Amino acid sequence: MRVPLSWLREYVDVQMSPEQLAERLTLLGMEVKGVEQWGADWRSVVVGELLTVEKHPHADRLHLTTVNVGSGEPLHIVCGANNIAPGQRVPVALPGAVLPGDRRIERTEKMGIASEGMLCSGDELHITSDAEGILILPPSTQLGIELSDLYGDVVLDVDVKPNRGDVLCLVGLAREVSAATGAPVRWPEIAVEETGGPVADRLRVEVREPELCTRFVGRWISGVKIAPSPDWIQMRLQAAGMRPVSNVVDASNFVMLELGKPTHTFNGAAVREGTIIVRRALPGERLETLDHVDRELTPDTLIIADPSGPIGIAGVMGGAESEITDATTEIAIESAVFDPVSIRRTGHRYALRSEASLRFEKGQEFRLARIGADRVAQLTLAWAGGSASKGRVDTAPTEPASARLAFRPARVSRLLGAEISGEEQRALLLRVGVETESAPSGTRIQVAVEPKPLVVNPGSEEILIAVVPTWRRDMAIEADVAEEVARVRGYETTPAHLPDTLMPAYRPSPLRVRDLIRETLAGAGLSEVVTHALVAAPDEAKLQWPDDATAPALPGGLAAQSGEEIAVTNPLSAQHSVLRRHLAASLLDVLSLNERQGRPDVAIFEIGKHYARIDGKPREWTRLAFLLTGAAEPAAWNRVARSYDLDDAKGIVELLCRRLGLAEPSYVPDARGFPFHPGRALVARQESENEAVAGRLAELHPEALAAWDLRAQRVIVAELAVAGLDAATPLRVHVEPIPRFPEVERDLAVIVAESRTAAEVEATIRSHGGRLLRHVRLFDRYRGMPLAATEKSLAYRLVLGSKDRTLTEGEADAAMEAVRKGLETDLGAHIRS
Amino acid sequence: MSVDFESLSGDLHRLKDLALAEIAKAADPAALDQLQIQYLGKKGDLTAVLRGIGALPAEDRPRVGAVANEIGEAVKTALSERGLELRSVVQAQRLAAESVDVTLPGRTVPRGTLHPIPETIAAIAEVFGQFGFVVYEGPEVEDDLTNFQMLNIAPDHPARDLWDTLYVDIPGHLLRTHTSPGQIRVMQSTKPPIRALLPGRCFRYEAVDASHGFEFFQVEGLMVDEGTSMADLKGLLDEFAHALFGPRKTRFRPGYYPFTEPSVAFDVECVVCGGVGCPACSKTGWMTILGAGMVHPVVLQYGGIDPERYQGFAFGMGVERISNLRHAVPDLRYYLENDLRFLEQFR
Repeated sequence: MRVPLSWLREYVDVQMSPEQLAERLTLLGMEVKGVEQWGADWRSVVVGELLTVEKHPHADRLHLTTVNVGSGEPLHIVCGANNIAPGQRVPVALPGAVLPGDRRIERTEKMGIASEGMLCSGDELHITSDAEGILILPPSTQLGIELSDLYGDVVLDVDVKPNRGDVLCLVGLAREVSAATGAPVRWPEIAVEETGGPVADRLRVEVREPELCTRFVGRWISGVKIAPSPDWIQMRLQAAGMRPVSNVVDASNFVMLELGKPTHTFNGAAVREGTIIVRRALPGERLETLDHVDRELTPDTLIIADPSGPIGIAGVMGGAESEITDATTEIAIESAVFDPVSIRRTGHRYALRSEASLRFEKGQEFRLARIGADRVAQLTLAWAGGSASKGRVDTAPTEPASARLAFRPARVSRLLGAEISGEEQRALLLRVGVETESAPSGTRIQVAVEPKPLVVNPGSEEILIAVVPTWRRDMAIEADVAEEVARVRGYETTPAHLPDTLMPAYRPSPLRVRDLIRETLAGAGLSEVVTHALVAAPDEAKLQWPDDATAPALPGGLAAQSGEEIAVTNPLSAQHSVLRRHLAASLLDVLSLNERQGRPDVAIFEIGKHYARIDGKPREWTRLAFLLTGAAEPAAWNRVARSYDLDDAKGIVELLCRRLGLAEPSYVPDARGFPFHPGRALVARQESENEAVAGRLAELHPEALAAWDLRAQRVIVAELAVAGLDAATPLRVHVEPIPRFPEVERDLAVIVAESRTAAEVEATIRSHGGRLLRHVRLFDRYRGMPLAATEKSLAYRLVLGSKDRTLTEGEADAAMEAVRKGLETDLGAHIRS
Repeated sequence: MSVDFESLSGDLHRLKDLALAEIAKAADPAALDQLQIQYLGKKGDLTAVLRGIGALPAEDRPRVGAVANEIGEAVKTALSERGLELRSVVQAQRLAAESVDVTLPGRTVPRGTLHPIPETIAAIAEVFGQFGFVVYEGPEVEDDLTNFQMLNIAPDHPARDLWDTLYVDIPGHLLRTHTSPGQIRVMQSTKPPIRALLPGRCFRYEAVDASHGFEFFQVEGLMVDEGTSMADLKGLLDEFAHALFGPRKTRFRPGYYPFTEPSVAFDVECVVCGGVGCPACSKTGWMTILGAGMVHPVVLQYGGIDPERYQGFAFGMGVERISNLRHAVPDLRYYLENDLRFLEQFR
């Protein structure tokens, strides 16, 4: 809300600098977002007096003037306006002046005659809305002074919180200033001189929806003359951010800014039979609103109608037909209280949010309907003349009394953690207009209203009754009283200390396993990324990452295998319209961006969520994904470059398993093809009682890279479920005793068919190795002479040992012989010696 | 032949002189090995001379033996001394040949970087963890009731404008607009004393620019017990601010959230200008780092907690905001864009 300081001072004294005031208001909860010098954008605009006004010799519509600006020679200025005459005082933009909108004024020539500046209209200065004529200043205005010294103002930009609709006006803010400084609030004197006949002769009001329109106050004025408002009124409205329109419309806007009461003024002649009906719209009814949009009204819209149809959308916008025009002489003033929810829904439905509807949405003080109607009538009479009918139409003249709210000063102290006596609390509350009384015995306290009312009988503690002013619709429970006490007293007086109460029970942090993996992967050379959860639906489809990536039995929970995509129903853009079901595409996007920045070497990982709908319910899982491409070890003076390949990805998974206390993962080939390289894709898996790692590792298919417009030739992507990413599992090492007896190492070169996988060979060795076989490690792979083209040799080092004795040669030989036989019979392998 | 002590002794001394001269001239360890064999070996010159000892009278034999021993020792000593000399020369030559330019850069050990969002969450969790706050996480696809109504934001509440919402095609569900619904979930799953921290991703219907995004991260805090007060909140937040931003002034000022009453905003002295006033703090000297307040009785009731017996506070902060202030990040878009030129600065 924009608050011109000079206007605010009409209602309360301010004895401090604007900056100090801003600080005090902020500390009271009325955050001042900015202190603006209004008129600061008029530079070198001074007050001048017109000496002569003559016709321009070459142009009928221009005048030649001479202007005294208080010092130096009179200036010769060419001017196109028709409302000027010698003797008038006017704003003069000197050569070099800058006007709002960064408009620069220079010495120019107009139709052959030099012009040494410009006479300004109110519109050019953004002071009034008059763009036709020059702004004529009062004759007493001092010559030569800067216009900003004269009309400049300080405007505070106050952020009024949604619960304080009562502060969305100057009087409301004046109350807060009063709370801060103690200066009393001056209400405007409101009185309507009623010189017409009874209002009932002119205006009848019928409210058919008393739930949605709890009060309607109407007034009638005859014989108004529509004209611009007085300049000073226009200036105030402009400074407050509202465009002046005409005296009658400005009166309504002025009252909204002054009292926070939105009202509407109809052209009386357009209200048929002088009858206003407040009702819901009928099916098929239409209305052209003030913004000249023809709207079809939905039946739940609350409208203002006359006997022949709608003339306005209640609380939101009037109709074009009943708009005030220059020809208007009769006006009907509407000052009503509407249901906030209804207004809010209507505003949303028609995408129409006005200053008025914003205030209605926050709820209205009931008595303001009467006061607002009177104030609009008073200002209209003053600015537009005419004669007000006697009395008001009022559908609910009984105004409710102030609410009474019981509270315990001791509970307020407990909430704030500060000892504040009942006496002090009473004094603090009084500063925001809340009077207090001692409570009769047996008074009960409203601790909560919703979801179930909670009223307690507090026993022996002191109880006070707060008499809540009618404008404070936000105070309903004891905690609301605590807030008023705290903010008026000032939070700088609240003590600060560390809690000394009981601690909660231990709970392992879900971040722990994640942080461990993050540190491990960063240590392995991968950089962490965090990408959008919302992605483009086509991207999800484009990659076709398999949905059965992980087995359902993992402690991490179900994979998204049987789920469906969750879509946003009101997305900001197609680029971010569905929740991702995999992380892989997100990493490709990151690669793509970095490739465009000239970064071909990318090693990244993300621990993030993916989402799916299963049985109509949303599910989400935390997963680990990583991507490797380009140089694993970039070339340096002491080393040649090495490119990432699938082995690096496996190495990372193996490292991860070790770090999580798991054994080596097992690998199963996946030859499905797209989106994977058909010969370079696998499922990795390892699990124990508490920990598990499972997922896919693959070099991507060239077509998948092409679909992402990537330059990279080889990109390896992995997506893994890791138990503990969603729920932490404590990592525990179970120590094996250090072998007390020496171990025996034996090497074995196994010649098998190409089609046999290393995993098969190793599994066979293990299954035949017996209890003495401790470790198996592949240390060489060989193809070529003298082997057949369909064969390969895999060389393993086997470690044999026993817990309770030193192995004899014979025992070791027997074990190796068993392995050899097993390989021969199971795999058709033979052993190279 | 006539052999006597003098002639034999003279032979031995000549042999010694010859040996010492040759040892002194030896050019490398191999030559020394050769000399050792030549003089001291089983078939060496010294042994050959001593063979003549049998021809000596018995009384002279010990004397010659003593001389021979003395000469043998002298040759051995000369051999080992010369050996040491020669080895140190060879070693010095090798070392000289092996010298490198030690100012060349080292062999790079690959090291990735950690993203500032999880890192900032970890930093926040570390501070509050010291005060007994344990980490919980709630769902990102949240139900409407928990995200709004149970937090005292009824349908059509004017404050709903504060949270422009992205809805999903599952009836009654939305993308959570804040981490605050986690308060309800924690209260429903555990009983006081509660000290909980809830980090996570949030979503809003908000156009993207340097200071807004439709996906962002928050950390929510919740403490509920019988006497938990605003003073506890203030003390904890002061510790937090000091831990993350160093010794700076802090302040509470009134704020507004439907789910807390009273509500406050927590400001720290501007990290850019130190409180003097600058464009970064809109000339106020203060920067708001989080919102907080005493948990509203409505929220406690929805959480299944008696608001007469218990009271507590909650706070919520934007992770990017904290990170921006700590690392001088100029643009919110940096975080989810993942340009390595940004990420690699967090080395």
